[in-house]
Amino acid sequence: MLLSRQLAARAHINVGDEVRLATDSAGTTGRLFRVVGIYEPTPDPMRFTALRLETRLHLADLANLAETPGDVAGADTADAINVRLVTPADARPFADDVRARMPGLDVRPTSRPPEGDPFVVLDRFHLAISLVTVAGSTAFLLALMIIRAEERRETVGAMRLLGISRRSLLVEVAIEGLLIAAAGALFGALLAFAAESLVNRIFQSRYDTTLVFLRVTRSIALRSFALAVPLGVAAGIAASWTLLRRDILSLVGR
Amino acid sequence: MTSAWLAWRTMRRYRARTALATIGVAIIGALLFDMLLLSRGLVTSFADLLNHSGYDVRVLNSQGFSLARATIPRASEVDAAIARLPEVASVARIRLEPATAMHHGADINVALISSTHSGTQVAWTLISGADLPADGASADRCPVLVASNLAARLELQPGAPLSLRAGVSGERSVLPAVACRVVGIGASPFSAGDEYQVLTTLSGMRAVRGGADDDTADVVLVASRPESGPAAAVHAIAARHPDLHVYSNEDVVEQFNQNGFAYFRQISVVLSSITIVFTVLLVATILTVSTNQRLGEIAALRALGIGRRRIATMLLWESVLIVGVGGLLALPLGGLVAVGLDGILKQMPGIPEALHFFVFEGRAVALHALLLSTTALVAALYPMWLTARLPIASTLRREVVG
Repeated sequence: MLLSRQLAARAHINVGDEVRLATDSAGTTGRLFRVVGIYEPTPDPMRFTALRLETRLHLADLANLAETPGDVAGADTADAINVRLVTPADARPFADDVRARMPGLDVRPTSRPPEGDPFVVLDRFHLAISLVTVAGSTAFLLALMIIRAEERRETVGAMRLLGISRRSLLVEVAIEGLLIAAAGALFGALLAFAAESLVNRIFQSRYDTTLVFLRVTRSIALRSFALAVPLGVAAGIAASWTLLRRDILSLVGR
Repeated sequence: MTSAWLAWRTMRRYRARTALATIGVAIIGALLFDMLLLSRGLVTSFADLLNHSGYDVRVLNSQGFSLARATIPRASEVDAAIARLPEVASVARIRLEPATAMHHGADINVALISSTHSGTQVAWTLISGADLPADGASADRCPVLVASNLAARLELQPGAPLSLRAGVSGERSVLPAVACRVVGIGASPFSAGDEYQVLTTLSGMRAVRGGADDDTADVVLVASRPESGPAAAVHAIAARHPDLHVYSNEDVVEQFNQNGFAYFRQISVVLSSITIVFTVLLVATILTVSTNQRLGEIAALRALGIGRRRIATMLLWESVLIVGVGGLLALPLGGLVAVGLDGILKQMPGIPEALHFFVFEGRAVALHALLLSTTALVAALYPMWLTARLPIASTLRREVVG
């Protein structure tokens, strides 16, 4: 038989050891099995908090072990049958076909429809939290931009006196906002990328799993850029516009 | 002029930046408040739900609430033996089966639940019609209490016929549909929005299963006597039935807290921490930039005889006012956001309608106030230090004369 890494570590069992398995806690109906290997259980996000104390046997061995005297049908039962299709895209019609031929069986494709998938719901939840964070950050960003614009009131006044147009100044502010927002977004993406390994290591150690909890993908980084850069530019222009619309004399304090 | 008044005057002078910073704190504070509500919400709601059922001990044939079904054999004997224990006030046996409800040509998959007790005794709320009779107390072969969502979908009224066919997992034979009668329409707190529940008696379940009765139960619910308490009842039942697993409501909640709820607890801790750091950084940045812009003004106030401590306190008051007003606004805003986020999370399959992820608690408000007070203090530290070491003469020369 095979043992999960977690069970082998907890029970101090090595490859080659013999282990008695029984279906009752007293071990009276047990049989001896030899451990031929230790495996890492496939990470399952639905069960990441569960301690994976598992063994794998051949079906016939398990049936013999669980056999009840006199229960002939019991030896030929299975909890589930996994089917790999030649054409995976046919999973749904295949399931419908089997269900029609064998009413009473629960037949379903392994891929979840979006409406029943808890991870789609979690994705929506995270998106909603991100939107709230973006709204808060935008307010802070706008406040900072207004302070910066106020700081440059006299400089802007002097530039206007020298004949530089509002339009040119706005373009300058937009480019400046673009550069700052792009640098900020890049820094944020790099910070997330650096935190990825740390966060994964903490959670993997906490739950003794190889499941990946956090992954900064290119599409996520691009989405952050797509959101952060226009917001940064818009905040810069909005804050500067309050200054640029004033007449030149008020800008220079006359 | 006090420091608080000076701070108020400054904030009124710079209205736009103060308003925006306060809005920023309010939005981020709302998220912090929501994470605090989430940190215990599901566990609190789950505990309320369990306690609402009227039973404080659960007897199962499996360790914990595993996905694999393990029914209790000889359930009637177990039920009777538990009921005789002096620590026990009442016992209800529950059995669940998948079934199909058929009405006017429509077939709907339902969760058929049978109970030894009436609907109201197992936490159902009666909406219309009569309650389900206790098992054996009715001549009706198959009385059923249907959930309101099923009644609405099939347009069922009390007294209406409803055909039920058991869908026995793992068996190929198709049992014939059994004509049941709707005695009432109710609501179960444990019902998920996407699930249709039908409650019947043990006799009703036997009829739907084609007369088969293997005398098993999925769970035995036990109400302990008030003078004994659930812990004593758990101990007595476990001693009487060492082969079964006995849990008090507290045990179930603790197990749920350790396993099912771990993700939300951790995401709440992570997001609360990030939110606090984020707020400190942003408020500190705004105060620092704002202070740097007013260095000449602050130096002039110092030259007029206003002491270092008063100026530093003024900056602390500015921070307190921004974070305080933002924090207060965060409470109603957080409440609204929590309703939206709760609605999103409740779209998860199998979540009972009565379960909530965000539950309001006074403790969360107190913690929110404490965290934001600390934020206001920490955010003001650097600008306070800046002004305390400000050289008056050189600053005035640079800022005013220069």
